[in-house]
Amino acid sequence: MADKLVAGKHLRYILNLMAEKKKESFESVVMDHLRMNGAYWGLTTLALLDKLGSVSEDEVVSWVMTCQHESGGFAGNTGHDPHVLYTLSAVQILALFDKLNILDVEKVSNYIAGLQNEDGSFSGDIWGEVDTRFSYIAICCLSILKCLDKINVKKAVDYIVSCKNLDGGFGCSPGAESHAGQIFCCVGALAITGNLHRVDKDLLGWWLCERQDYESGGLNGRPEKLPDVCYSWWVLSSLIMIDRVHWIEKAKLVKFILDSQDMDNGGISDRPSYTVDIFHTYFGVAGLSLLEYPGVKTIDPAYALPVHVINRILFTK
Amino acid sequence: MKQGPSSEDDCFSLLKQFEHVLESDPLIDEVGFIHPSQFTMLDKEAGFSNEFQPNNGTSSKFWNQDHKLGISTDILVQLCKDAKHVFLLALQEYKSHGNACDESQIKNISCSPCIPESDVMKHSQSVLLLSSDFGTAWNARKLILSKKDHLSAFTEELRLSGLILSNSPKSESTWSHRRWIIKMISQSFSTLQEIITKESELVESIGERSKMNYRAWYHRCWLVSYMTIEQVIQELNKSKRWAGLHVADSSCFHYRRRLMLKILESLYVKGSSAYDKTEARKIWKEELDWNEELVERYVGREVLKV
Repeated sequence: MADKLVAGKHLRYILNLMAEKKKESFESVVMDHLRMNGAYWGLTTLALLDKLGSVSEDEVVSWVMTCQHESGGFAGNTGHDPHVLYTLSAVQILALFDKLNILDVEKVSNYIAGLQNEDGSFSGDIWGEVDTRFSYIAICCLSILKCLDKINVKKAVDYIVSCKNLDGGFGCSPGAESHAGQIFCCVGALAITGNLHRVDKDLLGWWLCERQDYESGGLNGRPEKLPDVCYSWWVLSSLIMIDRVHWIEKAKLVKFILDSQDMDNGGISDRPSYTVDIFHTYFGVAGLSLLEYPGVKTIDPAYALPVHVINRILFTK
Repeated sequence: MKQGPSSEDDCFSLLKQFEHVLESDPLIDEVGFIHPSQFTMLDKEAGFSNEFQPNNGTSSKFWNQDHKLGISTDILVQLCKDAKHVFLLALQEYKSHGNACDESQIKNISCSPCIPESDVMKHSQSVLLLSSDFGTAWNARKLILSKKDHLSAFTEELRLSGLILSNSPKSESTWSHRRWIIKMISQSFSTLQEIITKESELVESIGERSKMNYRAWYHRCWLVSYMTIEQVIQELNKSKRWAGLHVADSSCFHYRRRLMLKILESLYVKGSSAYDKTEARKIWKEELDWNEELVERYVGREVLKV
């Protein structure tokens, strides 16, 4: 049982993971192809704990740039193929360090805009897989780069709305099962483009607050699944965006996240007493941020970046 | 003659052993990562005693019987690193020399063996068995396959991805690759219906071991758009028993919804008759009656109510 956030331990956990030179650990090797996502999770957690200064900005930024492909997109690691998943993380990392100015914005935004399909949907890369996650990524990324006008926003929004199900939720494509992760992506995209009025907030809010497990306080992603810390982000941020967060029991959720910490070595796992990883560490801290936990900086629920970073971008030319 | 420990022969020996095991048993249908302490137990179950095992070192790293392959967790990290490294080198080689191969084929000059291409296929297979979401490896295979025009290349790809799913049933990249293969097959060959039926059966068997697997069930829903109405009705009937035994599986019931909606959609197509409408109404009523039965039998199941 934990009663506080052991921020210092989490800081050490993240710095150790990022500093691993030999890449010997199992976590490091399996994460190798999505290192860009891992870096975003680690660095954003540091930023939320106000410890971004603990890493070498130059080292991180220059590594990020080695992952850019000639198409303008970014890969998960140096020498790998580009994909929108890693392109968003790369842009978000540069935003954290206030280094968006080093980007060739035209090149990156053309890469993303080029992946929009006739029906308004987005593919993840040249191989064509379509998913509403990629719609969110395109809209979020282009919004940060202030290039939303490069895509057909109306068609993009209409496509997302076509993925709305009878239960008020959203899936990865029209007719696909509602899933909290996909719901976050669709609601986030609609929020960024000013289209939240197309969400049935009461219906979706009900579906989302039903994700809370009465006993543990944790949230799951779909009916009958086990609670998982990462849904503290996807369900919670969605509820905040549609203004229904008061429908869940916040204190119980805080307790579930805190109980999922490794109090000795740092890091957060998917639920109490399981193995930690960087993914759940980020979502746990981000969830606590949304729950206004003291000592954690405020995160924007749509952009998934600290509010002070988003303000810096949106309110300067 | 004898080379030092830094020679290429000693490096990547693990990978060579792994690829040798794969080549010597092309019918492997299941892969898993196992703790070395379980090797003895597996030998016993397979009816072997230790004395008869060849002592070449391979038996402590790889277990291969009855077309099942176990990889020792002790060597996983090193093997994965080696496989990635060798694959990326092969890919680089292919991209810089691959053009030469293409030109030879266009001019009808035999380009044998097309070593860079077969290296990429061999090493990408190895790396994907260990790290199924390594997109760059899947992409390399797509690049090579998109230049092929024989069905066997694509059905072989379905076999490999099925093998990978036996260990990583939630691997999104693997499911996505299967959809790409099916799209390619549908564009060039006419054996689609049989493939759709097999795909659906594959998902059901994976769904048995990996409950409420979103990726697997999404794949099954995706197949519905390629199904004829007869197949849809068959699917509805075939999967009913499974659904009745898995009433907490929201993905399964979502799939039934998808099938039901497809039946409705078909009525809006020109040429649908009054008979079709009656049939559809009958199917819907049966489904709703059955649902009501289940709700009464399994009180409190969120999935059934939704």
